[in-house]
Amino acid sequence: MNAENNNNARIKDFLWNQMPLIALIVLCVVAAIVSNRFLSPINLNNVLMQGAVITVIAIGMTYVIVCGGFDLSVGSVAALSGCISTMVMLEYGIFPGVVAGVAIGAAVGLLNGLIVTKLDVNPFIATLGTMVMFRGATFLITGGRPIVGDEGLPETFLNFATERIFGIPYLVLFPILVFIVFHWLLHRTAYGIRVFATGGNTEAAYLAGINVVKVRTSAYIWCGTLAGVGGVMLASRLQSGQPTAGIFYELTAIAAVVLGGASLFGGEGKLYKSVVGVFIMVVLANALNLANVHSYWQQVAVGVVIVAAAAADRLRHR
Amino acid sequence: MTTGPLAAAVEISKRFYATQALDSVSFEIQGGEVHALIGENGAGKSTLMKILGGVYQPDSGEIRVDGKNVRYATPAQALDAGVVVIPQEMRVVSAQTVAENILLGQVPVRRRFGFLPEIDRAEMKRQARDLLARLNLDVDVNTLVGKLGYAERQLVMIARALGRDARILVLDEPTASLEAREVERLFEMIETLKREGVGLVYVSHRLDEVERIADRVTVLRDGTKVGSGLRGELGQQDMIRMMTGRDLEQDYHHGGARAPGEPLFEHEDVSLREGEVVGLAGLLGSGTTEMLFRLYGANASGAQRDLYKSPSDAISDGIGLVPGERGLGLIMGLSVRENIILPNLDRLKTTIGLDRKAIDALVDELMETVDIRPRDPKKPVRDLSGGNQQKVIFARWLAGHAKVLLLDEPTHGIDVGAKAQIHRLMNRFAEDGGGIVFASSEMVEVMSVSDSVIAMRNGDIVGLLTRDGDYTERALRDALGG
Repeated sequence: MNAENNNNARIKDFLWNQMPLIALIVLCVVAAIVSNRFLSPINLNNVLMQGAVITVIAIGMTYVIVCGGFDLSVGSVAALSGCISTMVMLEYGIFPGVVAGVAIGAAVGLLNGLIVTKLDVNPFIATLGTMVMFRGATFLITGGRPIVGDEGLPETFLNFATERIFGIPYLVLFPILVFIVFHWLLHRTAYGIRVFATGGNTEAAYLAGINVVKVRTSAYIWCGTLAGVGGVMLASRLQSGQPTAGIFYELTAIAAVVLGGASLFGGEGKLYKSVVGVFIMVVLANALNLANVHSYWQQVAVGVVIVAAAAADRLRHR
Repeated sequence: MTTGPLAAAVEISKRFYATQALDSVSFEIQGGEVHALIGENGAGKSTLMKILGGVYQPDSGEIRVDGKNVRYATPAQALDAGVVVIPQEMRVVSAQTVAENILLGQVPVRRRFGFLPEIDRAEMKRQARDLLARLNLDVDVNTLVGKLGYAERQLVMIARALGRDARILVLDEPTASLEAREVERLFEMIETLKREGVGLVYVSHRLDEVERIADRVTVLRDGTKVGSGLRGELGQQDMIRMMTGRDLEQDYHHGGARAPGEPLFEHEDVSLREGEVVGLAGLLGSGTTEMLFRLYGANASGAQRDLYKSPSDAISDGIGLVPGERGLGLIMGLSVRENIILPNLDRLKTTIGLDRKAIDALVDELMETVDIRPRDPKKPVRDLSGGNQQKVIFARWLAGHAKVLLLDEPTHGIDVGAKAQIHRLMNRFAEDGGGIVFASSEMVEVMSVSDSVIAMRNGDIVGLLTRDGDYTERALRDALGG
């Protein structure tokens, strides 16, 4: 009797734990039933392409959220670094361009981190401010026009988004590499434990000898860096540096992390679940598209899913 | 006021996991009397108070108000029944005025243009002034509560209770942070309330105060009622004997006589040698916690007296802190294993991550040594009992080979068995050449485990007791000034 109860509890626990993955699978099955186009190679390729950039950004967002923070600026950072990257690329070539794009992401991530830790500004307000600031800066340096260059961007850069290996675009393969590295860093290293400890209880982490200012700042740097990487990927996919790129990416990324079960209070989260969260968002949008649901209704539906997921999580903790 | 008690708790029992916090305790409050509730830490006073205040529900037993059985599920329902608890840490809204705080939850409303409801500020201030006048209090109702001192805030809370027509007022250690003059003012107010027929529950460690103002005293020990008496029936000695189960004039000896070795650190307030246990005795708010934090480098304000710049500096010098609030010591969502290795991560790193084998071996050994139950290193510490949580923090510092432990109320709120285990761990640590600074508000405990005791009051050191001098509880009480 007791063992049976125990078993039931374990199964229940497992199901709750894997809820995001189960939801994604159910969503895919429903999508495949609703539209026979869902499983077509072209559509699957589409889904993966759409998920690629957000995945990279959501990985960085997971670091910040697990560490007890928040970053609204990632969409603007992606646009800024995409534009700077392509501008540098036109002048100095592809490699300096990519490095510049990623570096600017790291730099603004550091800025976010310092505002939050040193000036002790609430992360929501701090990054709301920098979100607007970076978007404005992007418009300033581009004059509001896309960066395409007179003879176009370097061929190799543009090919990154389109060329395939084993039928899978580089743009889709690259996030897998990013995931492996950052999964290891968050879940397998001393640094990762410090991130969780700092997010779980900053005061206790400090008393356990952790330099919490450094850890929190580092999380923002990773988030900015990966938003920069995402921006460069996005520029490749859009074949240009677009000052209006990445709008609403912060919301999608945050929603994905929350759908993946990370706590907005910090200290809890799993990187792979954030990726699952990304694909819940992407597949949902894709399925609604295939089902010819009007885009206004799509927005409503996505909003409902986010609220429902957050509410389900609260119920579980009760 | 002779028609039976105003309120009564009848045969209340309450269990938390393995700890029987209250075992069939009965307690009555008459209108117009002060009923003191005394006992050592962990005796069940705060549990009983929380049950009266609707924070906890009893496992069995009844609460009666006016002879009627009441079951309240929330503090709000307790308020409706007329029971107001004034906790030590008061919940006031700092950014609001005295008037707003006093009338919080029952703001007077008027109808502008005959229909638009809005706050009647003039009326609110008038009511607040009336309540303060009833208590003979001279505080401007327009002052922000955040600008008031602790004593004033407490009085504002009492005025609020009065405004709610409180008939039973529970005061938890109300004088713990008050100066003598403020204590007098509080006592005058208590007399006023008595005359108005309010029944007061007075929880305190200060037995001279209890003797002075209590009409009746009930003593709790280990969750049971061990005695009670009317004014004059119980002297302080009797109360102490009931609270501790022992006589006061007792000689405190720890296990083996330890020979103090080399100095571990010297600080202007505290010096510590190998194998030595220095006690810091003082009531809540006396500054013992701040002292430990200062020694640990964790207090930014008193920087010039700090031994260390930051906790990480202290830790690398072999010093570990076990904070009084376990929420400050542990990351509740992380596992036992992760909490143990947290300050020791640098030693357990390899080039490609963490040395899992070494970590597992270390954690398994320590869980055995300090006896953490269950022996599941992956369990979140949130799911452990208080005593086991405390042992996790101990294990953390043993893992780091700490030479000095700073302990803040390490046995507060844990059961007797776990308490004995913690004491044994402390003793073993000292015998192995470690040094301990041990802060406690439990005098018997601090005297029995320490080699010398520093008495603190209001942030200052007010006495030093050594084992070759007058090492008695009476001497300590004298030093603490009651």
